Amino acid sequence: MPHIEILPNTGAAPAPGWAYVPDTGYDPSKVAFNPKDRKRQAARLGGMPTGLELSARQLTAVQRRIAELERDNDARSGIEIPNKKTTFKTSATKKILLSAKEIRHWLDDEDALYTNKTQAPGGGARAITSRVIKPAMGAKGRRATITPRALTPAVPAFPGSTSGLQDKALEIRSAVPAPLDDEKLQALLAAPPLPYAAARVGPPGAGAPPQRLFCDTCGYWGRVKCLKCGARVCGLECKGKHDQSMCTRF
Amino acid sequence: MPPKGWRKAAHDPVATQTLVLDNGAYTLKAGFASAAAAPTYDDCKIIPNCIAKGRDKRVYIASDLDKCTNFGEMAFRRPVERGFIVNWEAEKAIWEHEFSEGKEGLRCDPKETNLVLAEAPNCPVQLQKNCDEMVFEEFEFATYYRSIGPALNAYNDIPSLFSDSAPPDTSPLPPECLLLIDSSYSHTTITPLYNGRPIHLAIRRMSVGGKLLTNYLKELSSTRHINMLDETYLLNEIKEAVSFVSPSFKTDLERTWKGGLSDRREVDPSIVLDYVLPNYEHSAHGFARPHDPIKARRKLLQPLDGPREDILPVGNERFAVPELLFTPTDIGLQEAGLPEAIMQSLSVLPAALQAGMLANIVVVGGNSLIKGFMERLETDLRQLTPTNIPLRIARAPDPIKHTWLGGARLAHDRDLLRGVVVTRAQYQEHGSTWLGRWFAGGDALKGK
Repeated sequence: MPHIEILPNTGAAPAPGWAYVPDTGYDPSKVAFNPKDRKRQAARLGGMPTGLELSARQLTAVQRRIAELERDNDARSGIEIPNKKTTFKTSATKKILLSAKEIRHWLDDEDALYTNKTQAPGGGARAITSRVIKPAMGAKGRRATITPRALTPAVPAFPGSTSGLQDKALEIRSAVPAPLDDEKLQALLAAPPLPYAAARVGPPGAGAPPQRLFCDTCGYWGRVKCLKCGARVCGLECKGKHDQSMCTRF
Repeated sequence: MPPKGWRKAAHDPVATQTLVLDNGAYTLKAGFASAAAAPTYDDCKIIPNCIAKGRDKRVYIASDLDKCTNFGEMAFRRPVERGFIVNWEAEKAIWEHEFSEGKEGLRCDPKETNLVLAEAPNCPVQLQKNCDEMVFEEFEFATYYRSIGPALNAYNDIPSLFSDSAPPDTSPLPPECLLLIDSSYSHTTITPLYNGRPIHLAIRRMSVGGKLLTNYLKELSSTRHINMLDETYLLNEIKEAVSFVSPSFKTDLERTWKGGLSDRREVDPSIVLDYVLPNYEHSAHGFARPHDPIKARRKLLQPLDGPREDILPVGNERFAVPELLFTPTDIGLQEAGLPEAIMQSLSVLPAALQAGMLANIVVVGGNSLIKGFMERLETDLRQLTPTNIPLRIARAPDPIKHTWLGGARLAHDRDLLRGVVVTRAQYQEHGSTWLGRWFAGGDALKGK
């Protein structure tokens, strides 16, 4: 992470309402002040899957939709526990029981913890922290950043295996597998659990088929794109329905 | 003065009965294991892990939900989010309702009971610590063992799943290689286990789980037919009743298409169904029947008084929803599908282990009950693996209770249990940070 700070060369405080923000690729919460456009996207390492040009607005909509699908608890429901007891056995459990933290808070805490750990001198050699954002400097000093796709780790580096995902199948076939190295195996077994974010499955490999698009109205192939809102429909009939009631832009 | 409870130290700190608890986000799988009899699936009870509030403002805690007949607009409060116990206020109410105050079924005195608790992999350390503190300080269990759920599965009789001729083993020794796929409510996780020990670096998690599928079906039905955004319970029921994993997505999608304006097509009646929604007056549950276009069209002409029925037509939703397990990119989720995720997980392992893992894949978790899931997984995975490597995939006889059964088999073997549990006295001496390290470091098996 590039460390940017304002050096106090004058006595004036920076104007409120703005801040230097490192460009860490697409992040729905920062779209407003971290805009993305095609040129920049092309400069990035990964970017969205080819053939799928999404505007910032659409990307945000996709992110929001996924967050909605992944939500555990209804936002509307404030269900109180009947006959709730308010006595606690110890102060530690009192703190736990009264905590109103949700899972996202815990996961953010964990993220911050691991980022700090790797930034601290000496602690940076850990292979497991694939959430760390490393700015790569281009030849002309142009800043290239890692996109969210690259942020979700593919495979944490394991000292014994040098293979990527694509040639893995070949590797098995190519030779009789090397006998188990006991030392390596013990190291593998003794490795501590990964943080939550690092255990996430990586994006599909390079050979994967392109993303499929479906009609918003009926679920058939989305062959036509609505010019107004960018949603996909399958044909004239569904386009009519879409225009009537589902188009998000009039 | 001797410390409190010094007299007890002479006793065996490991209690006679053990509560085995697989604390899932959707349901608790709980039951007692003792040294006397080998555990079976029947010893396990499935309890909804939620506090629900109906339209009539009545609040149901966990197993009270069995008595409920009106699930309309029911709101749920789930203490477990993403597989981890987050809200202990609600979880405590549920545990107390079931275990310390509850009816006859699972009532026990925690002070006289060991607890074997299954948790989801990659739990944030702080949440684990909270869990340990609650178990020992609030509930005061006698002894306690916390393990990731997939690791408990290793204590099951794995060879019999593959119908090996090996004699059924009664003293559980974990198999050398086991690749456990747990497709549950919150996530789908892939865990390679070596001699029963999880290889943490290779554990992978897909965001797609039963919850996401239900929510997706809810979203599709609501935008296409009737607004059912508040009917989570009903949509879950519909999903369980009608969804299937298509062996050939493209063909099935063609078969459910109504055709263009100029070339009408008949939809395949074997796929398109009408789901008759419950009205919660005469029926608490709906049912599916073959699609009848005339009845569906007559919907608006039904008499105002007299029997009315509301119909939700389900066509390609039946297979497009579980398809997310295999192609999460369909909703823009940039993750690999389950077969590729398995290969990603295996790529961390040394080559010699990969073949062993591929030959010992066990699937647990509720999503594996979706029709066609196993066949599709096997076909797709076969395409990703070289032909000279044997591939064996088995589903547990009861995939929902299987993790519990593994824990119960561990608890049934008293020596094994003694080797892994931590007593309350040890906790009080060393504290929760030590306990977290003890459970995390794999040290739990060292004492054996």
